[in-house]
Amino acid sequence: MTSSGNVDPKLLEILVCPMTKGPLEYDAGRQELISRAAKLAYPIRDGIPIMLPEEARRLD
Amino acid sequence: MAARPATATDIADPDKSVMERAYARWAPIYDAVCGPIFSQGRRAAAAAAREVGGRILEVGVGTGLSFDDYGPSNDVTGIDFSEPMIVKARQRLATGRFPQIRSVEVMDAHDLAFPDASFDCAVAQFLITLVADPERVLDECARVVRPGGEIILVNHLYSERGAIAAVERWSARPARVLGLRPEFPFARLATWALRHGGVELIERRRLMPTGVYTLVRFRRTG
Repeated sequence: MTSSGNVDPKLLEILVCPMTKGPLEYDAGRQELISRAAKLAYPIRDGIPIMLPEEARRLD
Repeated sequence: MAARPATATDIADPDKSVMERAYARWAPIYDAVCGPIFSQGRRAAAAAAREVGGRILEVGVGTGLSFDDYGPSNDVTGIDFSEPMIVKARQRLATGRFPQIRSVEVMDAHDLAFPDASFDCAVAQFLITLVADPERVLDECARVVRPGGEIILVNHLYSERGAIAAVERWSARPARVLGLRPEFPFARLATWALRHGGVELIERRRLMPTGVYTLVRFRRTG
């Protein structure tokens, strides 16, 4: 477990998109996990990945 | 998402947004209220998970009341769809007292964000009777557990016949108003396992001394 605000890189390796079960890209600047297939960016708030589609930002 | 086959129940499933709001309200007092009530079932589920060992997923981890139930050699990931609950769980992790907990994340049990076969065991305590679509949650648990791994549930499952069943169903009515569903039949779990085809029921045990809760274990067959 890392300190608040940081995400464990090992954790990011095991997460997939909850909709497509496909891979995610980590955007460290925006603190988002991006699913290209689902066109969704899942937020990471205070180091906690929020893997809920209804909380995700839509990508056009 | 494809339509699911009708399930063996005539009881309406609770609405997710109602549950989400309810849990946000519950987060501040959850430990004080639910700690003592659920401790027996919680410990039994964790004990069964420790028997399996390896990577353990706790579905509906809440504020992390179960962290103490796992040992230093365990490797536990916890998820919950309530962000306020997970924030509290993470505060608990920040104490550094729980090296056995790998991480906690906000996730919907109906749509897990883990690859297939990524855990040795999935544990769900007092969860399956509360979710909007129990069969879909069970499907997801089965998906993320490796062949030979286990799904472990602890719940209040009602008696299906006789006078006790009638009394339990009658006394369950006020709980339904609060968004709870205490009248969940064991048969619904058994029906799911048969239809799924890739799991087998390996244990159904009333937890003593009170016998209020039932522990159910499924093994992933392939």
